[in-house]
Amino acid sequence: MGWFQKKPSRSLAPDAAKTSSSRASKGLKISSLLCDETVLFPAEGQDKAAVIEALARAVCRRAAIADWTVFLNKVLEREQGISTTLDTGLSLPHARMDGIDGILAGVAVLKTPIPDPKQSDLSIRVMFLFFSPNKQEAFSLHLQLLRGVSSLFQPALIDQITAASTPSVVLELVRKLEA
Amino acid sequence: MKPEPCPGRRVTEVVVLNTAMLTFISFWHAGAIVLCDMASTAWYIGGIVETAIGPAAPWFIVGVMFFAAPVLALYVEGSSMFVRGGVYKVVRESMGGTLAKVSVSALMFDYVLTGAISSVSAGQYLAGLVNSAFPRLSIHWSVDPKLFSVAFALAVVAYFWRQNIRGIEESSDKAVKIMSLVGVMAVVTFAWSAYTIAVRGFHWPSFETRFTPESLGWLASGQWHKRIGLLGLVIAYGHAFLGMSGVETLAQVYREMEAPKLVNLKRAALLIFFSALVLTGSVSLLAEGLIPDAIRGRYTDNLLSGLAMSMAGPHWALLLLQAFVVLVGVLILSGAVNTSIMGSNGVMNRLAEDGIMPESLRHLHPRFGTTHRMINTVVVLQALTIVLCRGDIYLLGEAYAFGVIWSFVFKSAAVLVLRFKDRSPRLWRFPLNLRAGGFDWPIGLALLFLTLLAIGLVNFTTKKVATVSGLSFTAFFFVLFTISERINRRVAARASAGHQEKFNLRQADDLSVIRAEIDKPNRLLVAVRDPNNLYHLNKILETLDSETTDLVVFTSRIRTGLGLIDETVVMDHDEQKLFTRILELAEKSGKSVTPMLVVSNEPFYAITQAAQAVGASEVVFGVSAKLSTDVQLERLAMTWGSLQQDKKQVRFRIIGPGVEHVVDL
Repeated sequence: MGWFQKKPSRSLAPDAAKTSSSRASKGLKISSLLCDETVLFPAEGQDKAAVIEALARAVCRRAAIADWTVFLNKVLEREQGISTTLDTGLSLPHARMDGIDGILAGVAVLKTPIPDPKQSDLSIRVMFLFFSPNKQEAFSLHLQLLRGVSSLFQPALIDQITAASTPSVVLELVRKLEA
Repeated sequence: MKPEPCPGRRVTEVVVLNTAMLTFISFWHAGAIVLCDMASTAWYIGGIVETAIGPAAPWFIVGVMFFAAPVLALYVEGSSMFVRGGVYKVVRESMGGTLAKVSVSALMFDYVLTGAISSVSAGQYLAGLVNSAFPRLSIHWSVDPKLFSVAFALAVVAYFWRQNIRGIEESSDKAVKIMSLVGVMAVVTFAWSAYTIAVRGFHWPSFETRFTPESLGWLASGQWHKRIGLLGLVIAYGHAFLGMSGVETLAQVYREMEAPKLVNLKRAALLIFFSALVLTGSVSLLAEGLIPDAIRGRYTDNLLSGLAMSMAGPHWALLLLQAFVVLVGVLILSGAVNTSIMGSNGVMNRLAEDGIMPESLRHLHPRFGTTHRMINTVVVLQALTIVLCRGDIYLLGEAYAFGVIWSFVFKSAAVLVLRFKDRSPRLWRFPLNLRAGGFDWPIGLALLFLTLLAIGLVNFTTKKVATVSGLSFTAFFFVLFTISERINRRVAARASAGHQEKFNLRQADDLSVIRAEIDKPNRLLVAVRDPNNLYHLNKILETLDSETTDLVVFTSRIRTGLGLIDETVVMDHDEQKLFTRILELAEKSGKSVTPMLVVSNEPFYAITQAAQAVGASEVVFGVSAKLSTDVQLERLAMTWGSLQQDKKQVRFRIIGPGVEHVVDL
């Protein structure tokens, strides 16, 4: 919440959620939701839940949210439902949270792919976790982000990201593709 | 070639349901189909009725054409209740299966005879033209009208057999073209007649009826018509009743009529009424008034040729007019053959859906998706009748109308009974309903039924040929249907749980196949799964503009593992039920749909791939019993983004009773 407010141009104005998707989509840069602190390179051997936990903690820390476990539990609860992993190797854990006004997001780059516990034939190579406001008017933006991230993180970008060694390189790759 | 096994979320098989890709016809097309039968009687009714009842024939013909109005109204009420209506369905719903089988057996007799009398009459006209034109061209050769008409009739039946095997859309286009030519001919004939009347004057037909022993049938011995004056009128009226043939086809084409269905049904009924009245009624009056008595006998079998040759003007011009009348006559009479094949095919389909006809008869033509075996059956019966009648139009005319009148009697009785049995509101009601005791008493319907019954009973005793041949034919078909129904008890048992449509499946390995089926600027995909949860499809059909939007109705069969790869797609019972229901909804609304089934290992990928292959700008779902609408949309947004190749915008809609979520992405 904190860092999001630092970038008012990216904040979720109530009107933005009501407008048509294309306008919302055009106004939303995925790279602008990320920063060095929220791009992680988890150590090998971690499972999906552990990566989600690390990302939730980093994202909440960046937004100055103390009770990060509430966020973690919510996203894990969502993970019990229909799968959030795509066959491109992108996993998209997400949750709609009360008490936030904008989107909080982070990325985990997995040098060694980890299996998705719900779909054994799918491997996760990049995880993009995000929280969006639990408000009806924000739902359109929530869906925009799901579509936008899925569209952006195609196998070619995922290959490049997993070859990167620092968060800034990852951010630069995302920015370049979005430009 | 089958794709290699792949861990990704793939669509491996695509099935497009050929038969279900309904295209709907306008009221012009529907009206033209019916008129090809009904208005074609103008070419032979005058001669036949005059032979039977004498010089008053045109007045009774005009009377019958006026009477078409309430009969058409009866069909509007019946069809508004059952999209796949017609006499069989309506009678079965109100009075049970046995009477329904009797009524439809009588109707089949009408259809078989329509094909025969129309095609033979066309042959007679052509033979008449050849025999009048050849001497003028110094060709000393003539044709035997009866032999020629039999050969020509067989050729016409064969031609329309082929057309109907190819499908209704093509044949309805031809019907419109034929009726346009008939319109031109009517204008030319009326204008020329007006000129002739101005030059020579006009003597109105007398009201005198002159019955022959043949036309009085079993009543001839008692001279009953002289003792009871009204009876004579009904006898004469009954002889002219063949002018009403073809009305039942209106109910058969109703399922193919485009939206707004009921409005178009009424328009078609009005078009049929006025066109038949003007053409058949006026032409019969003009023929009686303009053809001199001295030459009338020569033109009994081709009365309109006689009318053409009796106009004022040089002989060569009259010959040209006769050629035009004959040409149009040949076309419309041939069109009547087409109508009879289409109508009887529709009737037999309703019987087959009910398990009365053998299931094998519903087999679809592998290329055209038509019920070719049913068409073959009717065509063989028509050809047999043509050969057996040996070109005798009067014999056919005498036999005719049995099926017409009795199917009307049954239909009116059934609609009347339904007013008492089923008191739910009607979309449209036959007029003259008297409110008393909290119930609308159907006085108009009751009067119509009694009138039709009276005509039917009188015809029964006067038209010997019709009664004997009609009863024999009806009995034959009734026994055939009854035996067939018993043999098909298993099918009938299944039908009691709701009929299942026959589908032609066209299988392909990738989704690009669907592109060939759609050509409109807007594309909309509706995902369906549960036949009892099609609320969203219904809502979409209500507002769909079929002119500008292709509607693809999509379902997926989810398989995992190797079974996905080599699966031969044969629709299972549930899928059959689902698509039958889709087809019913499309027919009810009169909107075109393209149903599609794909085999995949993940439903959201399947929907997304299909929608993107179609180029859909809108994807519609029903409310799921398993997933919340939010989760459905989330998953769809993810797969959409993951598979999207362009930046095209899409709208997702989730529709349920009292629920509608719209998201633009």
